[in-house]
Amino acid sequence: MSTRAGSPVGRFLWNFRNHPKRELWFAWWVMVIFYQLYGVLFFLVTRVQPPASPAWDTPMVVQWFNDRHFGLLAGFGVVFLISGLCAPMNALLAYSMRRMSVSRVFGYSYLIMYSLSAIPGMFVMAIAMTVGALRPDRDSELIHWLFDFAFLSFSGTMGVFMIGSLVWLVAILIDKNGVFPKWFGYLGLCNALTEVVVAPAWIFQRGVFAWNGAIAWWINMVVFVTYTVCFIVLLRKMIEREDFGTGPLPDLPPKAERSQPDSVGSMQ
Amino acid sequence: MSGTFNKRLAIVWLILSAMTLVYVWLDVAVDQNGTLKASTVVTVSAIIIALVKVRIIFREFMEVRHAPALLRRLTDAWVVLMAVCLLGSYFIGSALAS
Amino acid sequence: MTNLQEDSSTEQVDRKAAARFVPGQPDMWVFVLFESLLFTGYFSVYLIGRIQNRDLYLQSQADLDLRFGVFNTIVLLLSSWAIARCVQASREGAYRDALRDAFLTIGFGVAFLVSKVLEWVKEIRLGNTFTSNEFFQHFFFLTSIHLLHLLIGFIVLGVAVYQLWSPARRSQQLVETCATYWHTVDFLWALIFALLYVVR
Repeated sequence: MSTRAGSPVGRFLWNFRNHPKRELWFAWWVMVIFYQLYGVLFFLVTRVQPPASPAWDTPMVVQWFNDRHFGLLAGFGVVFLISGLCAPMNALLAYSMRRMSVSRVFGYSYLIMYSLSAIPGMFVMAIAMTVGALRPDRDSELIHWLFDFAFLSFSGTMGVFMIGSLVWLVAILIDKNGVFPKWFGYLGLCNALTEVVVAPAWIFQRGVFAWNGAIAWWINMVVFVTYTVCFIVLLRKMIEREDFGTGPLPDLPPKAERSQPDSVGSMQ
Repeated sequence: MSGTFNKRLAIVWLILSAMTLVYVWLDVAVDQNGTLKASTVVTVSAIIIALVKVRIIFREFMEVRHAPALLRRLTDAWVVLMAVCLLGSYFIGSALAS
Repeated sequence: MTNLQEDSSTEQVDRKAAARFVPGQPDMWVFVLFESLLFTGYFSVYLIGRIQNRDLYLQSQADLDLRFGVFNTIVLLLSSWAIARCVQASREGAYRDALRDAFLTIGFGVAFLVSKVLEWVKEIRLGNTFTSNEFFQHFFFLTSIHLLHLLIGFIVLGVAVYQLWSPARRSQQLVETCATYWHTVDFLWALIFALLYVVR
């Protein structure tokens, strides 16, 4: 007993080897790290977000690629490496549906959809952009083509995410185990609807509905970020509440009673 | 009891519908023979009337009248927030355009 | 959210206006407030766009028929009135009346839907489509996304009807939650109507 109390390293090692929720916490941390990395890579390193304009002419597009030459190659190189981090994240979400009182079909559908979603949501843009950046002396029309291909596939293919959101939100609303609060189900509806709103990006080259438009991108992004922050926090709460049963998920005891919800002490 | 509630709801509906008809008058008053004319007064009035309607819908139809203080204040704050955003967009947009 | 009251509103009947209750699930109110903000964002973008291009917007707006707008608004107000009555009736246990009111609400909603489609057909025949110009981008966008909310509203009203139908269910909170959603569809339209049809 005395070896477990004491140093943070000692506690961490004990948890790593024995904690019944270690896989869940691992998946949760992977998710947090993934989103941080994704944000940094797409917004700061490669700077493909906020998106460039579909209204630009070819010389401007070539200039855009040149300005980001190294960032694109290095940033997306890292994206290719870390892309596997999606898996534990999607598994955790599917797990949340498995814990619900709903049919397992929900969890499995979600898992399949979101496994595929990494393709338009990450890979196609990464591939197109690195191909574009690899040879700066390539024909500028081809570079413009790659630019359109990357952005359209990234912004325009919201269908998968929308259906995935709907699957999750329906599961949440009919769930009797209270895994997630109902307001998060309704927020999922807001999120799914804003993904519909991106659809016109296929039609417009300028204006608020273009892939970089005020409505199709900026407002959309605010909703998406809110939704993501919410589900990261709620998944954490779910893991804290998890009792590995099949009935309603118990609420956490009030704060006074729980100083360290998932530390060594509480497992004794 | 249902009689008084139903009567109140009916009156609320009448008021909201009357406010809707005010819009027709607003537009007829400002347009000239079918040509639409820009008008700050009409725009601001239209927005404010719409927001008053929204508050009435909150209070009467959505029963916020009977809700705890938090919800009452939140919905009022929302109406104010929407007013600020809409009127702000209009006036700031005008300032930037001219 | 969990510390807002979730009293059964049947107790409310006994204590009159003295007791305060949150209509429906507090969760639905989160949705209502969030969605209102979202639409306010869309409206602000529209207004700013309008100012930059007043003449174009005024000219395009002339193609809109105010009568459609007024009719749609009144119909949706009627539907809100109906669902509000439904909630009252259900609270008092008058479930047949409540069901009748719920069906009335759906009926008014269908009237709105039909009228909206007719209006769109009319605009398209005049040559005004989603891609015609900036004004019509906003017009079709706002009316479409609102219509999508209305269609979801039919599902929500279906849930309310399902609840009211059998004595085994009849959750007052769920009926109120559905009503809260429907009223949101109504007040969003009140704003859209003012901004698309009336604002100059």
